[in-house]
Amino acid sequence: MPTPTVPEFSKSVKLKYVKLGYQYLVNHILTFLLIPVMLSVALQLVHTSPDDLLALWNSLHFNLVHVACSLFLIVYIATFYFLSRPRTIYLVDYACFKPPCSLRVPFAMCLEHARIILSSQPKSVQFQLRILERSGLGEETALPPAIHYLPPEPNMAAAREEAEMVIFSAMDSLLKKTGLKPKDIDILIVNCSLFSPTPSLSAMVVNKYKLRSNIKSFNLAGMGCSAGLISIDLARDLLQVHPNSNAVIVSTEIITPNCYMGNQRSMLLPNCLFRMGGAAILLSNRWSDKRRAKFRLVHVVRTHKGAEDKAYKCVQQEEDPEGHVGISLSINLMAIAAEALKSNITTIGPLVLPASEQLLFLFALLRRKIFKKKTKAYVPDFKQAFEHFCIHAGGRAVIDELQKNLQLSAEHVEASRMTLHRFGNTSSSSLWYEMSYIEAKGRMKRGDRIWQIAFGSGFKCNSAVWKCNRTIKAPIDDGPWVDCIDRYPVYIPDVVKL
Amino acid sequence: MVSSDEQPLVHDIRLSTVGPGRVTGQDVVHEPTNMDQAMKLHYLRGVYYFKSQAVQGLTTPNIKEPIFTWLNNFYHTCGRFRRAESGRPYIKCNDCGVRFIEAQCVKTLDEWLELEKDDGSLRRMLVSNQVVGPELFFSPLVLLQITWFKCGGMSMGLSWAHVLGDAFSAADFMNSLGQVMAGLKLAQPLKLAQSHISAKISPSPPKSKDPLSVKRVGPVGDHWIAANNSKMKAFSFNLTSTQISHFHTKVCGQIGTNQIPFFECLCAVIWKVVAKIRDGPEPKMVTITKNDPHGRKNGVLSNGQLISIVKADFSIMEANPKELAELVLNQAMDERSTIVEAMERDQGLSDFIVYGANLTFVDLEEADFYGLKLKAQKPAYVGYTIDGVGDNGVVLLLPGPNNGGKVVTLIMPEDQVLKLKFELKKEFSIA
Repeated sequence: MPTPTVPEFSKSVKLKYVKLGYQYLVNHILTFLLIPVMLSVALQLVHTSPDDLLALWNSLHFNLVHVACSLFLIVYIATFYFLSRPRTIYLVDYACFKPPCSLRVPFAMCLEHARIILSSQPKSVQFQLRILERSGLGEETALPPAIHYLPPEPNMAAAREEAEMVIFSAMDSLLKKTGLKPKDIDILIVNCSLFSPTPSLSAMVVNKYKLRSNIKSFNLAGMGCSAGLISIDLARDLLQVHPNSNAVIVSTEIITPNCYMGNQRSMLLPNCLFRMGGAAILLSNRWSDKRRAKFRLVHVVRTHKGAEDKAYKCVQQEEDPEGHVGISLSINLMAIAAEALKSNITTIGPLVLPASEQLLFLFALLRRKIFKKKTKAYVPDFKQAFEHFCIHAGGRAVIDELQKNLQLSAEHVEASRMTLHRFGNTSSSSLWYEMSYIEAKGRMKRGDRIWQIAFGSGFKCNSAVWKCNRTIKAPIDDGPWVDCIDRYPVYIPDVVKL
Repeated sequence: MVSSDEQPLVHDIRLSTVGPGRVTGQDVVHEPTNMDQAMKLHYLRGVYYFKSQAVQGLTTPNIKEPIFTWLNNFYHTCGRFRRAESGRPYIKCNDCGVRFIEAQCVKTLDEWLELEKDDGSLRRMLVSNQVVGPELFFSPLVLLQITWFKCGGMSMGLSWAHVLGDAFSAADFMNSLGQVMAGLKLAQPLKLAQSHISAKISPSPPKSKDPLSVKRVGPVGDHWIAANNSKMKAFSFNLTSTQISHFHTKVCGQIGTNQIPFFECLCAVIWKVVAKIRDGPEPKMVTITKNDPHGRKNGVLSNGQLISIVKADFSIMEANPKELAELVLNQAMDERSTIVEAMERDQGLSDFIVYGANLTFVDLEEADFYGLKLKAQKPAYVGYTIDGVGDNGVVLLLPGPNNGGKVVTLIMPEDQVLKLKFELKKEFSIA
């Protein structure tokens, strides 16, 4: 029946053009208002003669003092303005840890190991199998050497070895890419949530690379998967205070000490999803780095829902009744994540959305509040504010939920899904694998805006907005995707048959 | 087994799994041929001993890393068995991996080899004795054990499911590990061989006879090991080239142009000895397995060895060894097509044992066991045995560590071992 569809199609096309027209109008309202003003001034000038202009000038009774004071005032205001502006923070470059193929964990091996270790708990094995089948992970994700043993050997020495492998590899890669000398590092921030030895991991980095004795080093532990963006926020604040400095951030999660050996279902999920990964990032506020920097940091927005008990308890590390330590995820995790995201969007929206979207949101809000209409809350179209989205690859459910809530297309969430497939949930560093994916695909152009969203225990939702400083050409010659980018994107079935 | 100071001889055992470094892909399967299925109840257990000079500076991670590259070429050994709807087993190449066992030994290599001379069963501690089943889904087909000795020497124990290939293939498999560790690239994985014999099979009449060289057992279901009536024990002895030539001359007479090879002479002598010491009727049939050079392609694992049956219609105990040796050499009948037909008739669901169905002589002289080179040095010694052997026993002839030397390994019922040892010492004039 073609006739009904044609009006519908033309209606949708008409709507699209109406929308576009509205957006152009509102986003460039100042230009639209300015044009008639300028035209009228120009018209006036054309009509007045030069003599009239001179008479106008003389009537203002300017003398030297007036002129000098005005000039002085202008210079003073200009200086004050430039000095009080926040320093621009550049992301010079970053490097991700690429696990060797000898650490890969195919599904069949995962399952066989689970069957052998948990031979007395076939239900737990079945449960883990079901999670693996639907997880969205691929067959190349990596676990640390200690977890490959039957039974796993999660001792402290092995955890340190894993930390050294991941962190030093990412740091070496970063130093090589940027040409940075270890002695030039001014600020060092390391974030790793679940492994916090003494001396700290940041001390381990200082020791290995012989960093300066007056380095400002920080170690953030226990802050969950969103700690990467917390580190970025901290570095940004420090770089405001310290002129002409740079900061190295190492984001990682050490899996070795956190292998859960019990059978509580709420604690088995992390076993199936968390994998080895790490990233090292170089931030700088130096003018000289402006040219070669990849990105510029525009905003960081942090939202903490910990004041609510439900949110606070939703991701909890605890001992199960048998004494095994694991991370328990509550059943309403997705609902809490959605709430946290809504909070974060409410803050970040006004900062990034074009005026057209903000007006629409305001109208929708007014309609709901004043006229008490029970319409759904208007979700602003973030696709107009950003070209790329990096959603923390916490799990298939998280990505699906955000794709639905923000009305994103498959291409927008492709970086997140493919990172989950190739590397698994690498916690705080997953955002950097996703950025690397977008670069490897050659999609990162100068001026592109990127939104990184991370969720973490607490419950926190943190966002960072970057603007691409220079076009990054593919094919890139290093990075975690260099030998497999041609295989991606892959089709990930809903259920993988093992 | 515990030594006098209460610490186990082999301790600190750690298990892990190693697999191919590359993803094999979804839904890749490997179908064993009918010949492979006929051998499924047997397992090869080989131990390669390396002196400390050959492995100096090598650590377990140095061995584990290249394994991932090595197994890219043999991804089907990393799979697991499943059953098709017809019940026929096939391998799902799901990268599940090879089991890797690390262990430490309190003795030095030389001390250990001395201990083994007195008690051959000690070798069992250096290699896994796992079999396929009872859960096919979770049974590895290959297990590797690395044991470090106190002196720095090392042994590599290979536990190999015979369904994957014969001993010649297993030797090639291990040798390619040495090549990968030396940094050499292996040739691209070839298409795995389909036995050329099975290709010629036409549907045979239902009343065909069963092959004489195999025995039907079971059904064993998913636990692929046949039960024995008596416990089997293995023992071996080394032969120097001098002993070999003495023995050869003794059995075959003068060294002439039409000399009977050593293997056949050995078969004849041991056949007579077994006939002498065994209670009940003497064995009138023996199975011979040998290498078939035409059936093997480089780099491809298969069960291509020649399996033949020798029937004697005269008394073994009274026979002349030379006559018996000539019989073995000339009257062996190739049974492979019969075995394949029998398996084909049952659509791959029968359970056979080949080794030990009759007294079996296995000629492994051409197996390149000493081709596994670490740091360009070959092993100090290589010993192989077979598990899942039937009650009639098996005799293996392996190459020795030095030129001209050989190793004879016998797997016989426990109660016959002492008598055999006594008789064989007499035959070979060894102390």
